[in-house]
Amino acid sequence: MISSLTKLLTIRNLVSGLFLLLAGSCSRIDHKQSALDPKGLVSQNQYDVFMLSVWITIFLFCTVGGCLLYVLWRYRAKNAEEAKEIPPQSHGNSMVETGLIIASSIILVILAVPTLQGVVLLNRVPDANDSETLEKLGLDRSQIDGAITVNVTGKRFFWVFEYPQFGIVTANELVFPATKAVRINLRTEDVIHSFWVPKLAGKMDLMPGQENFMWFIADQKKILGETDVATAMPAVHDGTMRSKVFAKQKFSDEFEPVGGLFYGQCAEFCGNSHAYMSFRALAQTDEDFDLWVKRFQNAQNPNLQTKLYDPKSSYNKNSFVSFADNKLGSGANREYRSVRKISPGQSPQVAPGAWEKAHSDDYEIGKQLFSSLQCVQCHAVNRTGLGAKGPNLTLYGLRTSLAAGWMRNDEESLSKWLKNSNEIKFGNLMWNGEGIDDRHPLRNLQDDDQKVNQLIAYLLGQS
Amino acid sequence: MSDASAHALEHHEPVTSTGIPNKKVLMWAFLGSDCMFFGTLISTHLIYRKISATVGGNFLDIRDVFDIELTSFSTFILLASSLFMALGVSAIHKGNLKSMRWMLLGTIIFGAIFLACQVYEFTHFIHAPGNELTLSTYRGEPHVFGSTFYVLTGTHGTHVAIGVFWLIGWLAYSFTGKMSVAHALDIEICGLYWHFVDIVWIIIFPVIYLMEYAL
Amino acid sequence: MATESIKYLAPNTENKVKTQVFPRPGQHTTGLVDWLTTIDHKKIGLMYGMTALFFLIVGGIEALLIRSQLWDHNMDVLTNREYNQMFTMHGTTMVFLVIMPLSAAFFNFIMPLQIGARDVAFPRMNALSLWCFVGGGLILNLSWFFTGGSPAIGWFGYAPLTDTRFAEVIGDMGPDFWIFSLQILGIASLLASFNFITTIINMRAPGMTMMRLPVFTWMTLIVSFLIILAFPAITIALVELMFDRTFGTNFFDFLEGGKPHLWQHLFWIFGHPEVYILILPAMGIVSEVIPVFSRKPLFGYGLVIFSGAIIGFMGFAVWSHHMFTTGMGVVATSAFAMLTMLIAIPTGVKIFNWIGTMWGGRIRFDTPMLFALGFITMFMIGGFTGIMHSSVPIDAQHQDSYFVVAHFHYVLIGGALFGLFCGFYFWLPKMTGRMMNEKLGKFVFTLMFLGFNLTFFPMHYLGMIGQPRRTHTYNEGHGFETWNQIATIGAFILGVGIVIGIYQFVSSFFNKKLKPAGKNPWDARTLEWALSSPVKEYNFARTPIIKARDQAWENNYGPRENHSEKEPLDDHGVHMPDRSWWPLVTALGLFGLAMGMLFHRTIDPSGELVRDYTVPILAGSVAIIGMIMWALEGPGGYHLFPKENEE
Repeated sequence: MISSLTKLLTIRNLVSGLFLLLAGSCSRIDHKQSALDPKGLVSQNQYDVFMLSVWITIFLFCTVGGCLLYVLWRYRAKNAEEAKEIPPQSHGNSMVETGLIIASSIILVILAVPTLQGVVLLNRVPDANDSETLEKLGLDRSQIDGAITVNVTGKRFFWVFEYPQFGIVTANELVFPATKAVRINLRTEDVIHSFWVPKLAGKMDLMPGQENFMWFIADQKKILGETDVATAMPAVHDGTMRSKVFAKQKFSDEFEPVGGLFYGQCAEFCGNSHAYMSFRALAQTDEDFDLWVKRFQNAQNPNLQTKLYDPKSSYNKNSFVSFADNKLGSGANREYRSVRKISPGQSPQVAPGAWEKAHSDDYEIGKQLFSSLQCVQCHAVNRTGLGAKGPNLTLYGLRTSLAAGWMRNDEESLSKWLKNSNEIKFGNLMWNGEGIDDRHPLRNLQDDDQKVNQLIAYLLGQS
Repeated sequence: MSDASAHALEHHEPVTSTGIPNKKVLMWAFLGSDCMFFGTLISTHLIYRKISATVGGNFLDIRDVFDIELTSFSTFILLASSLFMALGVSAIHKGNLKSMRWMLLGTIIFGAIFLACQVYEFTHFIHAPGNELTLSTYRGEPHVFGSTFYVLTGTHGTHVAIGVFWLIGWLAYSFTGKMSVAHALDIEICGLYWHFVDIVWIIIFPVIYLMEYAL
Repeated sequence: MATESIKYLAPNTENKVKTQVFPRPGQHTTGLVDWLTTIDHKKIGLMYGMTALFFLIVGGIEALLIRSQLWDHNMDVLTNREYNQMFTMHGTTMVFLVIMPLSAAFFNFIMPLQIGARDVAFPRMNALSLWCFVGGGLILNLSWFFTGGSPAIGWFGYAPLTDTRFAEVIGDMGPDFWIFSLQILGIASLLASFNFITTIINMRAPGMTMMRLPVFTWMTLIVSFLIILAFPAITIALVELMFDRTFGTNFFDFLEGGKPHLWQHLFWIFGHPEVYILILPAMGIVSEVIPVFSRKPLFGYGLVIFSGAIIGFMGFAVWSHHMFTTGMGVVATSAFAMLTMLIAIPTGVKIFNWIGTMWGGRIRFDTPMLFALGFITMFMIGGFTGIMHSSVPIDAQHQDSYFVVAHFHYVLIGGALFGLFCGFYFWLPKMTGRMMNEKLGKFVFTLMFLGFNLTFFPMHYLGMIGQPRRTHTYNEGHGFETWNQIATIGAFILGVGIVIGIYQFVSSFFNKKLKPAGKNPWDARTLEWALSSPVKEYNFARTPIIKARDQAWENNYGPRENHSEKEPLDDHGVHMPDRSWWPLVTALGLFGLAMGMLFHRTIDPSGELVRDYTVPILAGSVAIIGMIMWALEGPGGYHLFPKENEE
C-alpha cells in the first residue's frame, strides 16, 4: 500500500506522463488490443462504421459548437449598460425548428444504413452459395466452406476452447487458420463473461443457460503487413511461435513484430479476478494449423497414450512404453523410447541398451508430483477433460502465456506462479477454490524449489 | 356538515387546480405505478411459463396441483367483495354511517375469506402428495414455476391483506364518533384501491389459472 | 362535500401535548427538533441537498481511489475485491445518493415556488421520503462493516453474479445490503414523485395553466412520471433477487430453470428511463438559466417541453441497447438500434433551442451561465458518443470498454452534475438570501471543466485501444499507462473543484459578509423570483393570480394586463400545518425492518439455518404504528398573519 503510494507519486511517472502527452503518443493506434487497428473482416466493418460516426459527429460538433460560439460572441453583453437592455422577446420560429428536426433525421439515416448492414454481418456468416455477397466482402468460397468451429466456454477466470470438428480441447490460447472463417459458439458454466478480441471482431457475451454466436475471419494480408509468414505467423505446433515471441522482446511489447498474435479479454464483470481473465488468439497458416491440430489429436487420443511395456509384443524403433523405474520411487513408471527394433521380452530392464529414457528425471518426478500434489484433479493433460475445473494443460509447453494470458509462460514466471499464485492473481481458484486450504500441498511449495523445478520440467516438457 | 366543522383539526380540502381532490390524484398515481409492479410480475411468470415448460424432461402440467374449483370460488368471493365496497362508498356519500359499517364489514369478511382460501391453497400446494410445488421445486425437481407463482399471487395477497387492514381501520374509526360524510373521500379512495386489487385478480385468474386449462 | 370549505378553528396546542405520546412540536420549534420534524418543503429540500452533497464527497473519494489504482499497470493501492467494491459503491452512490437526490432537492425547494403553492400536496409524506432516502443511504454504506464488506457486483448487479452460489466470500452480505438499500431508496423516490405529480397537477396558483408552467416544473413532472413507471421494474427485480438469495427461489438461477437474461431486461427497463431521470432535471435547470442570462424567453417553449416528454416516453422503448452484446438476435437488435437513434432527435431539439434562446439576446457570463454553457457542450459530446453506441457494430467494440465510461460520465458529470451545480449557483441566493462570490464561482467552474475533460476525454481513446471497464488493473504493454495517468490527474483537479464548490455552497448559508441578494438578483423570469430571499416560511403571503408565462419578468417589463394580481388576505391568516415526528418514526421503522431482514438468519451450533423474525416484526410494527398515529394526528396547524405588503 505504502510502496504503491510512493510509486503513485514518483516524479518520474509524472514527468514521463506529461512528456509522452507532449510527444504525441496519440499517433500510436496499433496497441496490442486496439480496436483502431482492425485485422479482420468483422472488425474492419466495425471500424469503418465507427469512423463514419466520428466524422459525422465531428461535423455536427463543429457546426453546432460553431453556432454556439458565434452566438456567444455576437450577442454578448459588452458592458453593464448593454446587460440591462431588453432584446426583442421572440418565442421561437417553427420553420427553423422543423427544419432542424428534418436535418437531424437525415443525418441519422446516414448512420442507420451501415448499422443495419453491420448487424447482419456480425451475426451471420455469409452463405457460401451467395457469390454476390462474398464478392462484395472480398471473400473466397473456400474461406467459408473450410470454416472451423470453436466452442468457447468461459469459466472464472479462464477460457476453454473446444474444437468439435477435431475432437480436441485447449485453454486460453485460441489457435486458428488465418484464411478461414472461425465460428465461435459461446457458453459459460458460471457467471456472464464476454469474449472480446478487438482486432478480429467485437465482443459477444457468454450468457448462462444460452448459447451465443459470433464469428470472425482474419485478413492474412493485414496480418503479414510488410513482413513474411515466418515473422508474422510463426508455427505454434513446433514451438517456433513461443521461441520467436520470447527471443528478443520484452513481455510488454510481444505484439510488435508478431502480427498473428492477438490479445483478447473478458469484457463483462465476472468477479474478483475479472481483470485477469484475458486470452490470446494465434493466427496460423493452413498447413501449420493442420499440423497443430494433428499434434493435439495425437496427444489427446486415449489409444495413443504410452502403454505399459508388454513382454509379449515386439516394438518398432521410436516406440514409447512405460516401465517401472525404482529410482523414481517405488511403483513409479518411467517412459522409454526404443532406439531400434525390439523383439518380445527385451524390456528396458533386460536390454537397457535398446531403450533410452524419453524424459529427464526431473520431468518424470514432476509427472509424479502432478498427481500426488493433486494438480490432476483440476487440470487435464493429454486428454480432453471437458468439465475439468482448471485449464487444460495438453501441450502446455507450446503456450506463450500463463495464467489466462497474464504472464509470459517461461520458467521464471511459472516458478513464481507455482509458489504463490495468489500473489500474482489474487483470488484465483487454483489457490482459493473449493476445498483448498493451507494444508493443501499446492500452498506449501513456497520453500520447495526442487519440487517446483520438477513440476516446471514436466509442464514445459509438454511440447 | 355541522358535525364536520366540530373537528378542530380537520383540515379542509383546498380547491385544487383540476377540481379533483389531492388524495385522489395521489391514489391514481399510485395505482398507475402499481400496474407496473404487477405488469412486471405477470410478465415474469408468463415468460418463464413459456421458456421453462418442462420439469425433469416432462411437460409441466400444473393442473395436477391446481384446485380450480376452490380458486374459482375465491375469485367469485373477491369480486363480490367489490360490490360491498361500492355499496359502502355510496352509503357514506349519503351519510348513512350504519349502512356503511355493514358494507365495510362485508368487504372485510369476503376479503378475509379470499385470503383464507389463498393460505389454504398455498399450504395445500406445498404439501400436495406427489406433486409438491414449493418456492424452488416441483415434484422435488428444481423449477421456476413455484417461484413466479408464489411471488406473484403472494404479492397480490399482500395487497388484499393491506386493504383488509385499511378497511378494519376505517371500521374501527367509524365507532369513535368522529366519522362523518366528510370522510366520504377517504372511503372512496379505499374503494379505488380495493377495486384495483380486484381488477388485478381478474387479470391474474385467467392468465395464471384458466390458461393452464386451455392448453 | 369534500371540496366545500370548512372553517378551521384556532388549534389548541395545549390540549394536544397531553394526548400525544410524543409532544407534537409547535410553531416556535427551533434547533435539531425543528430539522427532524419539519415538513416545510424548503427545509426538506435543503436537507436532501446537503445529504446528497455529503454523499457526493463519499462517492468522489471512492472515484479517486479507483483512479489511483489505475495510475500505472499492476498497482496495488487496492486489492481486486476492494476495487470491485469501490466501483460498485461509486456507481450506486452517484446514481441513487447524489444525482437523484440533488434533483429532488431542487424539485422540493423550487417547484412549489414556481407554481405559486405554499407547500407540496403532502408535506408529511415529503418528510418520510427524505428520511427514507437518508436511511437507504445509511444502509448502503453500513455494508462496509459486515461479512464480505460492500457489494462487489457492479451498480447493475447482473445475475447470476449476485447469486449466493457465486459469492466469492462465504456468507457475503454485500449484495443483501445493496438490495435492501435500493428498496428503501425506491420508496423514497416513489413517495416524492407521487407528491410532486399531485402538487403540479393540483396545486398551481390560479391562472398558472400547464402551458405557463416554467420548464423546470415541467421536467419535474415528467421525471416524476418516469420514476413512478420505471421504479416498479427494479423493485420487482430486486424482490425476486431478494427471494433468490434469502428463500432459495430460482428466478435468476440458471442451473434450476431461471434466466439471468431476465434480470438484464428488468434492470434496463428501469435503467434507461433512469438515465433520463438523471438528465432531465439538469435540462430543466439549464432551460431556466439560459433565458435569464440572455434576457430572452426560451426559444420554442412548447417544443422543448414536448421533446422532454417524448424523451421520457421513448426512454421506455430503448432499454435493450444496453444489451446489444447479449445475443438477442438480428431483429430485436436492429429495432432497438433504430429506436435509439430516433431518441437523438428530441435531444438535439433541446440543444438547438438553447442556442436559439441566446440568439439575439444580451448574454451575461455569470457563474450559472458558465455552468449552463459547460453543460451544453459536454452534454453534446456525451450525446454524440451515445449516437455511436446506438449503432450495433460500433457498440460491439465499445460495450464494456472505457469508451462507455467516458460516454456516460460526459452525460452524468458534464451533463447532470454541471446542470445541478448551475442550479446551485443560480438558486442559492434565493435560498440563503446572499450572493456568492463570483470570482470563486468562476474558479470552481474552471477547475471542474478542466479537470473533467482531462479525466474523461482520454477514456474515449483508452476504450478504443482496448481497456475494458471494471478491471482493477491492466498489464503492461497495452499503452494504457499515459492516458490513465492523465485521467487520474484530471480526476484530482475535478475533485478539488467540487470540494471548493461544496464549501462555497455551505458557507453561503453562514457567511454574513456576503452581499444580500434581494428579491431578484439575476433579473430572472419565473415566479420564485417575485418572492423575498430567503423565502418566507409560508412562501406566498397571498396566493398570486398568474397572468402570463415568465411572471416575474412580465411584472417588471411586461404590459399592464400581464402583471400578476394577489388574492385578498384571508382574515384568519395563512394556515401552516404542524411539524410531525411520525414520518421520522415510520422511516426508522422501515430502516429497522430492512436491517432486521438483513440479519434474520443465523446458523446455530448444529449448523442448522435459523430464521428469527423478531426484529423485522418489531420494526415493521413501529412503521405501522407511525403510519396510524400519522393518520390520527391530522395535519394540525397554526396561523400566520403576514403584513399586507410582505412577500
